[in-house]
Amino acid sequence: MRGIRVVLIQNDGVARTIDNAAIGVSLMEVGRAEGVDGILGDCGGGCSCATCHVYVDAEWQQRVGPPDDVEIATLDMVSHLQQSNSRLCCQIVLTPELDGLKVTVAPAE
Amino acid sequence: MDSKQAGHCPVTGHGQTPLADMTLSNPKIGAQPNAYYQAMRVEDPVHYDEKLGMWLVSRYDDIVTVLRDPLTYSDKHGYAAQYASGFFQEFKAILERDGGGFFPDAIKDDPPAHTRVRRLLDKAFTAHRVATLEPGITAIITRLIEQLADKAANGQVVDGVNDFAIPLTISVICEQLGISQFNSGKIQRWSSAVTAQIGRMQNREQMLDNAAQICDLQNFIIAEMKARETEPREDMISDLVHATLDDGSKLTFAEAVSLIRALIIAGNDTTATAIGNLLFVLATRPEVATALQASVDDERLMNRFVEELLRIEPPVRGLAKMTTREIELGGRLLPKDAHLLVLYASGNDDETQFTCPRNFDLNRSNIGKHVAFGVGVHRCVGASLSRMEIKVAAREVVRRLADIKLAVPVEQIRYQPTVAVRSIERLPLTFTRR
Repeated sequence: MRGIRVVLIQNDGVARTIDNAAIGVSLMEVGRAEGVDGILGDCGGGCSCATCHVYVDAEWQQRVGPPDDVEIATLDMVSHLQQSNSRLCCQIVLTPELDGLKVTVAPAE
Repeated sequence: MDSKQAGHCPVTGHGQTPLADMTLSNPKIGAQPNAYYQAMRVEDPVHYDEKLGMWLVSRYDDIVTVLRDPLTYSDKHGYAAQYASGFFQEFKAILERDGGGFFPDAIKDDPPAHTRVRRLLDKAFTAHRVATLEPGITAIITRLIEQLADKAANGQVVDGVNDFAIPLTISVICEQLGISQFNSGKIQRWSSAVTAQIGRMQNREQMLDNAAQICDLQNFIIAEMKARETEPREDMISDLVHATLDDGSKLTFAEAVSLIRALIIAGNDTTATAIGNLLFVLATRPEVATALQASVDDERLMNRFVEELLRIEPPVRGLAKMTTREIELGGRLLPKDAHLLVLYASGNDDETQFTCPRNFDLNRSNIGKHVAFGVGVHRCVGASLSRMEIKVAAREVVRRLADIKLAVPVEQIRYQPTVAVRSIERLPLTFTRR
């Protein structure tokens, strides 16, 4: 199956475009595999470490959806960096509807 | 309870003793280490502890630098140099003779070998899966608390560590692994024996005792594995025995034994320490007990309470690494093969990161920034499970018990003799039922 395009904007301003991101994996796994700066994913996608924190672009927020309670609790651990469009991208599973998804990587601690 | 008292922080306190005369291998310093940590952070952040023969990494930023670069700062070699220190060959021979083999810890390998195994374990304790375990964990904890409350109501002193924290965490991890019949006291002795291997404080006689305990543990694990080889069950030991990894390979027998051993030990020992610390803090810091009481029905505040407890008193305080090349760290040029002890507890106490670090402050904006679970590729895989156990313990203790007090003067509280953890040995308590 053809992958989708996702764009992650790093803290240095560089937009990392990944053209063939696989459907069904998380945005964290894609970002980490591509070495996107700031996407660490220490806990491996378990929603427990907040090292894959991104801000979802306004136009994509509705399609991506809000965090669930477990994710909200983990985001609260980095409340100094949290915004209304914060997500942990290990919890964003790529689907065909997310083709073109654009996010900005949250700053490091 | 807030951190807006800049300049009025309770001081961790410089000791009068010069840095060169202190060592973490001194049990007195090990029990009350914060002045030593602070002196290092201020005077000599990457400090050579002569008696220990290790470089102590004390500042938050340097700790993160080390943990984010696992190829320069090798966990595998640091651990190997620490393990059964001084007696390794004899220890290994005993395990090979009586314990089914010597099985190096797969979780303490370096990337890329580590990555293969780590990906498997990542799936075991996700925050979402652990959330589904909350009712079961609550049942275990409330049963234990009710037993203790009955005991205390009869005027008996209760040991918060050995009567509560340790049986609690052992019950939880055994349920997860699928160990239905277990002897809590035995698992406690196995845990002490394994953790002593990285504590740097065992003499030969203790090593022989500990090696015998670890043989017993490994023989137990091997029997549990064999029982599941042909008849898998719905439990984690079966999952590991039959697991297929991302690269299509299977775990070797040695890897599986080492992982189950690690899950049994790491799955109970450090969380039990945290729950012991919880009770100690409630008995000795009334402002924390009040804060917990006020937070008990607020999920967000309860999560924050757990993080702050882990920051202010992390169970794991020092784990070893070894440099694989010459490298500068914190202004110090370290040679290749320098043996480091990463002081997580000092990082959590670093005043450049945490305002008034000795204050227990639920409102810290960077409350999750502590390094109690580590950072990077070796970050604690059981963090969510540990948090859940501590949270439920805190909630149910405060709902069910009142007037928690030490039954002995605070000076009589003893800590395990080890550089790796700061862990209360016995915690005599009195309390009433709420």
